Amino acid sequence: MSYTKPLPTPNKEDAPFWQAAREGKFVLPNCPDCGNIWFPPYLYCPRCLSPKRVFKEASGRAEVWGFIEMAQPYVKSFAPELPYIVALVQLEEGPIMFTNLVGIKNDEVKVGLKLQVCFDPVKDDFTLIKFKRRE
Amino acid sequence: MSTKDIARKVAIVGIGSSDYHTLYKNPDPTRTREEMAIDVMRQALDDCGLKRSDIDGLVTGGTSGYEDFGYRSGLTDVRYLADYPVAGRMCASALFSAAMAVHNGVSDYCFLFNSVAFKSLAMKFDMAGQYGGDAASTGPLYNEVYGMASPGALYALAFTRYQAMYGGTEADLGEIAVQIRNHGALNPQAIFQKTHTIEDYLKSRYIAKPLRLLDYCLVNDGCAGYIITSAERAKDLKQKPVYLASFAQRVTLRPQYVDPDFWVEACGVLKKDLFEPAGLTLKDIQSLSVYDNFSLSVLWGLEGFGFAPKGQGLQWLKNGGISLGGKLPTNTSGGMLAEAYLQGWNNIVEITKQLRGTADKRQIKDVKNILYYGLSAVPNGLIFSNEA
Repeated sequence: MSYTKPLPTPNKEDAPFWQAAREGKFVLPNCPDCGNIWFPPYLYCPRCLSPKRVFKEASGRAEVWGFIEMAQPYVKSFAPELPYIVALVQLEEGPIMFTNLVGIKNDEVKVGLKLQVCFDPVKDDFTLIKFKRRE
Repeated sequence: MSTKDIARKVAIVGIGSSDYHTLYKNPDPTRTREEMAIDVMRQALDDCGLKRSDIDGLVTGGTSGYEDFGYRSGLTDVRYLADYPVAGRMCASALFSAAMAVHNGVSDYCFLFNSVAFKSLAMKFDMAGQYGGDAASTGPLYNEVYGMASPGALYALAFTRYQAMYGGTEADLGEIAVQIRNHGALNPQAIFQKTHTIEDYLKSRYIAKPLRLLDYCLVNDGCAGYIITSAERAKDLKQKPVYLASFAQRVTLRPQYVDPDFWVEACGVLKKDLFEPAGLTLKDIQSLSVYDNFSLSVLWGLEGFGFAPKGQGLQWLKNGGISLGGKLPTNTSGGMLAEAYLQGWNNIVEITKQLRGTADKRQIKDVKNILYYGLSAVPNGLIFSNEA
C-alpha cells in the first residue's frame, strides 16, 4: 500500500537533511562561524546570520520533552491510527523536533524518556526521521 | 523613554458587541463581518454619545476588507487607519497602537473592532490552513508529517511537560474550564450559559490528550468593538472612562508557539513593563482577563505574573479561586471558553463593563484595576483602570 500521509517537499533549505536520512544519517546544520547547531534546517544561522552552514552527523540521542495523544482526525491520513502519540523531543545538541515514536506503546511514553534516532523508509525515495527507545 | 507618559491618558469611552448567543443559534452563511461590525459601531456611538462624523480613526480586525467596511459605514474622514489579521496576539497590540495615535493627536476618536464569521463559514482551526482555508502545509517543524496539528495540541503537549515537572491531575486542570465557563451562566450574551461540574469536565472527550473539548475556546460568529479617545475628551462623554494604564509586549517568535518555560520569563518582563509605568503592584489588581484560547493560558499567567507560586497554580485556583467572589475573578463574562471567541476583543468589552460598574450579576465589588494578558508567540498585556 502506498504511503498517504503528508511528506515534506524538500527545498534548498532542507534537501540535504532529507537526502542524508535516505542514506541512514541524521544530520543537523552547524555554523562554522559561531558553532551553533539548529533545526529546522534554515539556510542561515539564526544566531549569527552566517550563510556558511555545514551539515554534520548528529548524535541521534534525544529525550521526550512533552507529548500528546491525538484524539481528533485533524490530519485525515492519520485517522486510522487514532489515538496516536506525537512527541516533541529535545535533541542532545539542543534543538527540538516533532516526531513519532517507534516500538513504544502509548501508555509507556513519558517526559524524559531517552531516545535514539531511527529511520523509516516510508517510500522508495523518502525516509522519515523517527525515534525509538534508547537501550 | 517609558510608556509612563501615556499611562491613563487614553480611555475606552464606548463599547459594542454582538449578541453572540443568538448568532450562534442561528448560523447564516450570508452573514457578513461588515454587517456585524456596523451594528457594533452603532452601539458604541450610542453608548458614548458621539456621532459617526466624530470618528477619525479606524482599526479593523477580521474584515474582508477595511475599504468595504469604510464604504458601508460611511466613515469619510479617517486620519488613522490600521488593519489587523484575525489573531488574538494582536488584540492588545492593536489597542495600544491606536492609543498612541490618539495620544499623539493623529486621531481624536478612534473606533476599533474585530469581526468574525467562523461558525457560519464552517472554518477549521487545524493549522493545515491557518484559521481556515485549505492550504497544505507541513508546519514549521514538519508538524503534519508526524500527525501534529492545531494550536490546542501544542498547549496539551506543554501540559504533559508541566505535569512531569510539577504534578497536577486532569481534574485539577478541569477547575479552570469549569470556573470560567460557569461565569457564562451569568451572561445573557454568552454562547454557553450552562453550569458545569468537574464530573462534566472529566466526561468531555479528549481532543489532544490531556486537553479536552471543554478546555478549548469556541468557534463562532460575532463582533466586538470600542471607541477610544483622550482622557481629557473622555470627560465630556456619557460614560465613566476606562483608562488604559499600561501596555507591554515581548515578542518571542519560535518555530512552535508554546514557550518552553510556560512563559515564566516572558511574564516576568511583561510584569515589570506593565506595573512600573502604571504605578501599581499585583495587589492592586482585582480581576484578571486572560486570552483564554485554552484553559491552560490561565495557569501559565497566574504563575508567570506571580499571583500563584511557580508550580502551584492549580492548587492556588482550587475552591473557586478564579470565580466571581474568589481570590482573583477571571474572565467574568465566560471568556472565550463560554462567552465567545473574539480573539480577546470581547474580554476588553467585559473589562470596560466591570470598570464602569455595569456588569450586572457579574459585577465585582470595588474593582479598580484589571490586568489583561495574552500568551502566544507575541506575549502581551494591558492594565485598565477606572481611576485617573
